[in-house]
Amino acid sequence: MEPLRIDFPAMRTEFGFVLAGEDPRRLRAAAEEARAEVEAAERELSAFSLGSLLNKVNREAGAGPVRVPAPLFELLALCRRVHEESGGAFDPSVAPLLGAWGFRGAAGSAAAAAAARPAVGLDGLALDPAAGTVRFRRPGMQLDLGGIGKGDALDRAAAALVEAGVGAFLLHGGHSTFLARGAPPGQRGWRVGVRDPADPGRLLAGVELRDRALSVSDRRGRTAVVAGEERGHIIDPVRGAPAAGELAVVAAPSAAEADAWSTALLAGASPHPVSWLALPAAPPVPSP
Amino acid sequence: MNDLARRDFLRGAAGGLAGLALVPELDRLFPVLPPGAPLRTALVGCGKRGKEILAELAKIDGVELAAICDRDPGKLKSGGRRAKEAARYASVEELLAGESELQAVLVATSTDQHRPVAEAALAAGKHVWCEAPLANTIEDARALAAAGAAAAAAGRVFAAGFTARTNPVYGRARSVYKAGGVRSLVAARGAWFHKESWRAVAPTDERQRLLDWRVDPARCAGLPGECASHAIDALLWFTKETPTRVAGHGAILLHDDGREVADTVWLDLALAKGRRMSFEGSIANSFEGDNLVLRGTHGTIKLAQTHAWLFKEADAVTMGWEVYAHRQPFHRDEGIVLLANATQLADQGKLEEGAGLPNPPLYYSLHDFAAAVLEGTAPACGAAEALPPTVLGILADQAVRRGEELAVEPALLGLEG
Repeated sequence: MEPLRIDFPAMRTEFGFVLAGEDPRRLRAAAEEARAEVEAAERELSAFSLGSLLNKVNREAGAGPVRVPAPLFELLALCRRVHEESGGAFDPSVAPLLGAWGFRGAAGSAAAAAAARPAVGLDGLALDPAAGTVRFRRPGMQLDLGGIGKGDALDRAAAALVEAGVGAFLLHGGHSTFLARGAPPGQRGWRVGVRDPADPGRLLAGVELRDRALSVSDRRGRTAVVAGEERGHIIDPVRGAPAAGELAVVAAPSAAEADAWSTALLAGASPHPVSWLALPAAPPVPSP
Repeated sequence: MNDLARRDFLRGAAGGLAGLALVPELDRLFPVLPPGAPLRTALVGCGKRGKEILAELAKIDGVELAAICDRDPGKLKSGGRRAKEAARYASVEELLAGESELQAVLVATSTDQHRPVAEAALAAGKHVWCEAPLANTIEDARALAAAGAAAAAAGRVFAAGFTARTNPVYGRARSVYKAGGVRSLVAARGAWFHKESWRAVAPTDERQRLLDWRVDPARCAGLPGECASHAIDALLWFTKETPTRVAGHGAILLHDDGREVADTVWLDLALAKGRRMSFEGSIANSFEGDNLVLRGTHGTIKLAQTHAWLFKEADAVTMGWEVYAHRQPFHRDEGIVLLANATQLADQGKLEEGAGLPNPPLYYSLHDFAAAVLEGTAPACGAAEALPPTVLGILADQAVRRGEELAVEPALLGLEG
């Protein structure tokens, strides 16, 4: 039987699911439940939607602790872990810098970025696991989960599919983050190609994914022109400026980890234009 | 928005002439519950709608989710992932026995279970918010409305989730309608298009039957009951026009999987003076989504959940406010955004793209319920308001199934009948 495919808009990009199985009715119903998970994640994590839970956190966590549901709390805990393990290269608190560099509509400038820098630093994020609350200890601190949100949405969708009994699927968010479970009939895994951003007709690599996620961060994904120079949308939190890397590709056990680490790798000013990282199948042990 | 954030925003807004005018609109867009102990609630039903409720509750300060309940273990487990701090129950009886401090119950079960669950909660002395429609049979709808009205008379809150009545953009549009913004009603057209199967996935046949309630004609009044009832409710609220007859047709155009419930329907409701309301609904197509259009002799209002617009006829009287209002092009028409101070709010980043509500309509319905309980006021949609659209939706479903026009008995729509 042909796999079921659905594509739909979410998180300001396109998501796609490919589900393999024998019962088309069950596959469709499962895909609908998984899509609902992505849409729920978008409503919760969007930095653009005023009604999102993240926006509530951004509005209120500077004034005191804000209680958040477990999925968001766990995601923020993952953000902090990757932030620490990446030496600060992954930092969702760069939100003020995204505006200052012109990625939120208004024109950006180095001067605006310099003024925004004191608000940046995930060490200002206080998480209280017992109370399930989030608090900002830095004045002006704001979070943007664009570097991990698509991956988290895919993880939620995958959980719904597994719960629905679907054993073989490939999901993508924006053609840049992929999550595979099982394999198509007769194959060892789902084949995913990594395009050369400088020459989209050329494949840099072909990857066979099975029970694993892959994320590609590309400097050209979104750009803004600042002082006549085109800048990529991923911010290097250490320098407080758009990252210099070209492309980062990460394989990881979960889509959220892959997403976050590919952002970190690109933001981390690697001397190599293309960076590759494969995390072990088991999640790394958090640093003490 | 908490008090502090609200004060900050108002301080900023008060700098200009428009600042004072913003206040009432902001109160509606970012409502705040009174200070004090939070409202202790439980959610019954952790399916798709239940999860949406959990997401909105997480944003409402002043409401505490104490427990969740679902008779399907899979749904209870997935609900529990979103609400880890909440106690879990497999039946409403266990929930009510186990949570003595509970104040309110939110009912988001399959429609056929609204009555037994809500009645059990009301009998236990709880305030109840019930997803709309009230029921899938006229008998159940009338019985639940009567129970809700009796509870309200005894000082408790019974509210239904017909979200038009608590939607701030619909409220603004209604005030324009009432002020003669479209003058005399010509026609109304409701639409609900969302491509989906209305099926769920379960590991056993028994659980599958339990979860596939929307394709079971004994447990669901189809697209007319589940979806058209909301458009009918908005029509009733805006126009006070009660349909006198209802006709309908339906077909299965995509989901030919053994179901008997139509996946596409067309309804025709007769109004006073020869006017009609039409409704099209389908789960075989998504274009246009969910909206209601009210056409008048001087203009047209389009209501689309988080957005609403006024389209004026060339000979319509200028009301004044619309000269400076936010406008959007629609092919060859121009829509005036029906949200007070939309231009200023949009400029300040206080509205969604296209000048729409910051929160989904469900948020305002739940907030209105919590406010009614904590402030001791009547909810916007109580038993008397929820009964007529529920009954009309059920009658429309009967018209579709029988393929014939049915007269609407006015006595069926009132609590006293």
